[in-house]
Amino acid sequence: MRVEYINPFVEAAFNVMKEVLGGDVRRGELYLKSTSMPVMGVAAIVGLAGGVEGRVLFDMDKVSALSIASAMNGEDLTVMDDLVKATITELANMITAQAVTKLHELGFQFDLTPPAIFTGDNMEVSNQDVEALIVPMETAHGKVEINVAIRERA
Amino acid sequence: MSTQNTGTSADSKAESGQQEEKRERGDKIDYKMVTFSLAGKEYGIDIMNVKEIARAGKFTYVPNAAPFVRGVYNLRGDIISIIDLRTMFHLPSERKGEDALESLLILNVDDHVFGVIVDNIDKVVGISSSSIQPPHPIFGDINVKYIKGIIENASKLYIILNVEKLFAPKKAEEPASVAAAMAKPLDLPPETALRPFEAAQTFRDEQQASTDVTSDFIKETLFAFKRFAVTPVNEEWFSGRYEEWKSVRKAMDLQLKEHSEADQFLETFFSPHTGDLWSEDYIRQLMQMLPDISSKNINVWNPGCGKGYESYSLACLLKLRYPEARIKIWANDSDLLAISMAPNMVFMMENVPDMYKEFMIKGRNGWAFLQNIRDSIFFEFHDVLNTNPIPPVDLVLCRDTVSFLSAVDQKRLLSDFNEKTKAKGVLLLGVNERMPMAGWQAIAIEGISMYTKGA
Repeated sequence: MRVEYINPFVEAAFNVMKEVLGGDVRRGELYLKSTSMPVMGVAAIVGLAGGVEGRVLFDMDKVSALSIASAMNGEDLTVMDDLVKATITELANMITAQAVTKLHELGFQFDLTPPAIFTGDNMEVSNQDVEALIVPMETAHGKVEINVAIRERA
Repeated sequence: MSTQNTGTSADSKAESGQQEEKRERGDKIDYKMVTFSLAGKEYGIDIMNVKEIARAGKFTYVPNAAPFVRGVYNLRGDIISIIDLRTMFHLPSERKGEDALESLLILNVDDHVFGVIVDNIDKVVGISSSSIQPPHPIFGDINVKYIKGIIENASKLYIILNVEKLFAPKKAEEPASVAAAMAKPLDLPPETALRPFEAAQTFRDEQQASTDVTSDFIKETLFAFKRFAVTPVNEEWFSGRYEEWKSVRKAMDLQLKEHSEADQFLETFFSPHTGDLWSEDYIRQLMQMLPDISSKNINVWNPGCGKGYESYSLACLLKLRYPEARIKIWANDSDLLAISMAPNMVFMMENVPDMYKEFMIKGRNGWAFLQNIRDSIFFEFHDVLNTNPIPPVDLVLCRDTVSFLSAVDQKRLLSDFNEKTKAKGVLLLGVNERMPMAGWQAIAIEGISMYTKGA
């Protein structure tokens, strides 16, 4: 993944989470991964198109998802209902959109696809030939792993 | 043919063996070996080389093979050679009946799988590698060269065999065909045919044997400290450097005990202008050596670009050499810190050779490369061991990177180079690195290691 793409995603994730969740937000060590990986329980995915192809995946467990959705809505949510899913989807959308805006300012043209959300147990994402950058974020409401895989259109 | 896989019981044995050992001594267990007996003596082989253990018989006889090759065997679809260690070491062995099953260790050495017959497979023993004693030349039945060391465990003495030495194809003789040879199991017998004679000469020159051990030891520590793996890619440099090292260190201990010593050993390895822009002379030399390329687009792959100096140098060089072409360089490195500065690198004018100046512009913080140079390079945070989504390239620039991968990964990356490079494409390696694969023509010039891919 191009070096220029990394910072916008890291910064956008940090800014948005700090803003909507408040409290302490910390970023873990970035690393690369190319094998299939288990999904913690809730995964929101946003596709990227344009000059590049790729996707951004936001991965968290159910408890964190509920806690984050509760914080964003200002009410206590305990079941994985439509509101929770819509909230997590929105979070994914906000972060990706802000990153894409930053990238646009740097001169890179990206388009977004509408986000989609997956929930369930024992899920696994595998796209064999894509190497992904993992940005682990630690918030007061739980851990969110942002998994960015982008490659240049050949 | 009947095979009885005892892999799982080996695992549980491994656990019990380990516990036993733990009770005995407080040492850290960092080395496990599978133990077995040959003619009443106990031996061990590093568990990392043992794929599985099995019992099998009725091997298919191979005519004209060396006497210690019992034949070939179909191991779940893979044809593997079967070697009788007892015959190999000239030890007495009872010939079992036609249908009898032999105890087999299935070994994996350098990606090459084969079976060895032993008298009895005992168990897995965990030991601390620091307690392995060096072999003594009068050890008798087996040439010291093939012994890694001796270890005492539960009041038994085990001789640890060095299977890499014992079974690795002879690399020095024909480096180009190593890969091909290893692909065909049946090539093993002729290659090892000379070994028993060597094994029979037990009392060889002790000096010779012990230098071998030291050189092996240095190889191992280089990998442990620096992840520098000695393979056909850099063997030439290593053996030269080893001789030099001996004369420099004289009476001092040859072995590398600290990081700083490993650094010192590697000092002469690196290519000129590592971590800096290339000098004008170096660029001129390379420009002369590069073949004409007629295509309008020149694609370059630069794995292990580090901070990006060599990518910029190359971009300028290619602009000068092929002014008409559109140049695209995929530069990648797995060190995020190093590469994250690369896209926006600025220079102080006094550090820049004159020839770069036409490609640079003064900015607020210093001199930077022109936008068209910067646009020609994609700096990517990428690990070459993952899938490389690189289009076919005309040039691969990979200096002093391949050597710092494990032997297996080196082979993988080199075959990736082979696959991704267009016919007549160019590969530029570090000055002390060689391309061991067949089908590449060396363009030898002092100080530059360049290859073209045969059409």
